[in-house]
Amino acid sequence: MTSVALAFPPGLASSAVPRSGAELEREAERDAIAASKRGEREAFDVLVERYQRPIYRLCYRYVNNHEDANDLAQEVFLKAWRAIGRFRGESAFSTWLYRIAVNACLNFRARSRPEARELDEALVDPRPGAEWQVVREDDASRVRAAVGRLPDKQRATLILKLFHDLTHEEVAGILGSSVGTVKANLFHALANLRREMTGARQVRS
Amino acid sequence: MTAHVSDDVLLDLALGEGAASERAHAGSCEACARRVEEARSAVALAQRAEVPEPSPLYWQALRRGVGQRIAEDGQKARRFAILAPLAAAAALTAVLVAAPGLFKKSRVEPGLAAWSALPAEDEDDDLRVLEGMALSGNDLAEWDRTEGLGVYLANLTDDESQVLAEGLRAHGQGGKS
Repeated sequence: MTSVALAFPPGLASSAVPRSGAELEREAERDAIAASKRGEREAFDVLVERYQRPIYRLCYRYVNNHEDANDLAQEVFLKAWRAIGRFRGESAFSTWLYRIAVNACLNFRARSRPEARELDEALVDPRPGAEWQVVREDDASRVRAAVGRLPDKQRATLILKLFHDLTHEEVAGILGSSVGTVKANLFHALANLRREMTGARQVRS
Repeated sequence: MTAHVSDDVLLDLALGEGAASERAHAGSCEACARRVEEARSAVALAQRAEVPEPSPLYWQALRRGVGQRIAEDGQKARRFAILAPLAAAAALTAVLVAAPGLFKKSRVEPGLAAWSALPAEDEDDDLRVLEGMALSGNDLAEWDRTEGLGVYLANLTDDESQVLAEGLRAHGQGGKS
């Protein structure tokens, strides 16, 4: 835990307890949220700046192109601004924001459904003996396209867990499901992804 | 630990998580070690789905776009706040105009007739006289309206009075001149 030297006004420095960078960040975020609730746009800009990158990347993984990802990311922050008065702090702000983002992505996907050929959940082979053979020559775009064809819950779980470095509990909080369901969906998502990338060729032990 | 790892644990181990005892089992069990390695390769495959990094200038543009959307949203909300009561009033007016029968029963009949300084139409003798004059045509002297009707009648000749009386009788209003 690293402490940060703060420039306190004279007279306050001796009574101030050094706080970690993470604590300061949390405090700054709390302040920004409180000010945003009062309608202060500048404070909300601080939150946008802090979360713009993960939200954009989350959106991109759903829509697979910059234009739609940009549009969706803006929509997510607009929805967050409208709803921030109702944010009670019962979950982390990031969890609350990710939930808005996932819902916006799912709605977007529902609107443009004909383009996506979603994998059948029944394709999942949950047997412990199934192998995870992969095709090495795949590029990022092919993998993204395969991720894009996963069923909604598997896709959301895979994206949040693998690309946003969230815990199972955090993913469960965002998706409104249990940790067990998150783990099952992730397992199935990886199995489906492997199946999608290897085509019909599947080696079993 | 003799049982092979479950799917849940397999994932935890592939993601670098899991309890020490589970990691120890996977390290000593060839079958589990192979499954964990396969799961790791699937995770690595998924992680190849990198998102292209936009230009550093993009993030500023994104924030500007969010700001514009919020501003536009605020304007819409203000317009709605102004127009909503007007729209509601217009809708109410339309309902009242389109469905007058809806409110017929609620109309209150006045308990008393409105008071007037003039006599009721059926009790106004002056009106009868005027109607008689109209029916008498040009046989009567012209009425100077600056004088009262009584003065006019008092100044009529006998012949004119006769003509007027006939006019009133023709109108069915005779006997009250």
